[in-house]
Amino acid sequence: MRSLAERVYVWAILLSGVAFAASRIGLLGDAGWLHWLFLAAALGAVAVLAVEANGLKFGDNRLRRYALGWIIAAAVALVLWAFGQKQVQEALPFLTAQRRIWGALEPFGLYLAGLFLTFMASLLVIGTLDPIADRPRPIERTLIRRLPAKVAAVPMVMVALGIFVGATLWTVYHSFTSSKLLPKSDFVGFDQYERLWATNRWIISIENLAIYGVCSLTFSLIIGFCLAALLDQKIRFENTFRTIFLYPFALSFIVTGLVWQWLLTPEFGIQKIVRDLGWTNFTFDPLFNADIVIYGILIAGLWQGTGLIMVIMLAGLRGIDQEIWKASRVDGIPMWKTYLFVVIPMMRPVFITALVLIASGIVRVYDLVVAQTSGGPGLASEVPAKYVYDYMFGGQNLGQGFAASTMMLLTVLVVLIPWAYLEFGGRKRV
Amino acid sequence: MSSISIRELKLNFGSVEVLKQLDLEIEDGEFLVLLGPSGCGKSTLLNCIAGLLDATDGQIFIKGRNVTWEEPKDRGIGMVFQSYALYPQMSVKGNLSFGLRNQRMARDEIEQRVSRAAEMLQIEALLDRKPAALSGGQRQRVAIGRALVRDADVFLFDEPLSNLDAKLRSELRVEIKRLHARLANTMVYVTHDQIEALTLADRIAVMRHGIIQQLADPHTIYDRPANRFVAGFIGSPSMNFLDGNLVRNGSAAAFDLAGQRISVDGYRANGGDLNGGGTAVLGVRPEHVTIQAQSRPDQTIEATVDIEEPMGADSLQWLRVGDQQLSVRKRADVQHEPGSTVHLDFDLAKASLFDANSEQRL
Repeated sequence: MRSLAERVYVWAILLSGVAFAASRIGLLGDAGWLHWLFLAAALGAVAVLAVEANGLKFGDNRLRRYALGWIIAAAVALVLWAFGQKQVQEALPFLTAQRRIWGALEPFGLYLAGLFLTFMASLLVIGTLDPIADRPRPIERTLIRRLPAKVAAVPMVMVALGIFVGATLWTVYHSFTSSKLLPKSDFVGFDQYERLWATNRWIISIENLAIYGVCSLTFSLIIGFCLAALLDQKIRFENTFRTIFLYPFALSFIVTGLVWQWLLTPEFGIQKIVRDLGWTNFTFDPLFNADIVIYGILIAGLWQGTGLIMVIMLAGLRGIDQEIWKASRVDGIPMWKTYLFVVIPMMRPVFITALVLIASGIVRVYDLVVAQTSGGPGLASEVPAKYVYDYMFGGQNLGQGFAASTMMLLTVLVVLIPWAYLEFGGRKRV
Repeated sequence: MSSISIRELKLNFGSVEVLKQLDLEIEDGEFLVLLGPSGCGKSTLLNCIAGLLDATDGQIFIKGRNVTWEEPKDRGIGMVFQSYALYPQMSVKGNLSFGLRNQRMARDEIEQRVSRAAEMLQIEALLDRKPAALSGGQRQRVAIGRALVRDADVFLFDEPLSNLDAKLRSELRVEIKRLHARLANTMVYVTHDQIEALTLADRIAVMRHGIIQQLADPHTIYDRPANRFVAGFIGSPSMNFLDGNLVRNGSAAAFDLAGQRISVDGYRANGGDLNGGGTAVLGVRPEHVTIQAQSRPDQTIEATVDIEEPMGADSLQWLRVGDQQLSVRKRADVQHEPGSTVHLDFDLAKASLFDANSEQRL
């Protein structure tokens, strides 16, 4: 009975927090009282525990200092709430200047006061139930153990939940509405998605992303690793070469895009140089040929990104025990075989790091396209991120933008979930 | 025929001379230990023998064949490393057979060699495990196995036991000795641990600053060190060094220690001139000094009792002679009052006298 009540308590508190956050974002609509219901459930659990404890003790309660702390915290929260009330503001004129701030804090103050008082009550009950600190049960583990660390983590958790989880949910929610310039809440089902997949531009974007993604991933890894392996041969001027290869990474995608736009322009770029050398029929104009324009962007992307991959790979190679190399030489294994069968498997964590970096670069590719081709010729070099941006901020069609970004999220999850399952879900690796 | 022969080997790293004109002959079936403090060039020498480092000058012969410029795989060697250097993604079996498979050896032959090595090292039960699932001792066994399956003429060990804890180290030490007795291959073993060197070696080469200081069997190294460095490096607790003068005492030579004289009659000289006089250093190990109650003229020296260090089976008594200190190994149950005067009897037959300037044994 007791452990059940404690568990109910912890879950009720957690759910109440989630419900409160959801209602603040506006996801719950009319059910804005849900967090109070969960808080009441938690208090009910506390009441069950109090019955089990046969009343409460205050004087020699070992947790009374914590309880007192939560009362003070609740009092502060209540004061915040009170500052938001009209009558209080009329009585204390200095508050009126920041009226909007106090108004925004008001609902938080009331909820937090309730939450803190629930904490206080539960701690008093626990203190009565377990007069000596023996084996802490769930409530004590949650509210007492490493309390400073938990308090310190609250802002970070709030930001992470608010920005990442909250904003993602908000976006997904509104992708099912007919929002245009401003977000609205009128549901239209999958209309936005049907329109999205009927749009030629979106299909081209997805195709381009697929080509760019596969090529960028493969070539970044291969070129990056080869450069790192070459640099690892105890060569002279290693630092110089490393700096040269890494330098493009210091440039923004916009600058990279412009530089490669010039280089790939037939009139004064690579094509002109080669023609001036005598090959007068040489043609190399990827940015002006709709069939291969994405490869022109790929070249710029690789030029900018492989340096970083090389540096990461080089760090990984340096982490390989030199005696492994000696052992393979004594065993008479050729160098390429040692790389392929011994060193690369040992560098698995490095490859995963590189993979994550490359993959995130692929999904967000946008500025490179804008700088090089602006999506042209025609629609030939459109990418999903550009689609999202154009519809959200250019086309004043939030619903389409949200639907497109939800599709991007889905794509990432489709790749990520099986990988995460393999990596963490399966049997423990040694 | 000697198994390994190194002639005038020189190796420079940039402007640093790591090995200077090194000559070394290693007999067939011999267990040679290269011993020295870190930075003395012992691992460098081993890597040169293995072919992992290219010599700046000089030649290396293995089984009479000049291998100075040959690749490690062609030298007929097997090597064991300090960090085991196992291939972490392969099973034990994969580790043992990777090199052989790469030589396109027949499957049956590989199978046979792997199982023979596994049986010899008692790792049959581990063949399907990955190195990460093995203990340090088991990993080092696998590493030895990897050298074993190569059927090499020469085994090279580069501080193989340094990463193991004390207990495993002594276990594996015995096993390596047993392995040598069974295979009778030439083995070259690098270590900075003198216990390993003394227990394993047929001959020890003590190195310092890229030069072999003394090359001899463990007994000679221990009892008749060639110079003061070897004497101080070998032995634990380490040797006492007492500064004094060689003087003539009637017809015989004597060692004068701050006015007290002991006869050096029983000393086994290396051909040095004891009658020449001059400053010298008397090196004597703690176990070759006994504490006497009675003084004997020309045999004992007066000393003042200092602190005592119990070491279990026996204990180390520290004493002062003039302003010099020395330690004496004694039975743990005999007590001496700190500050009292005792008489020390030196076993000159096992002591060493060094020239104070050249530090060579007299």
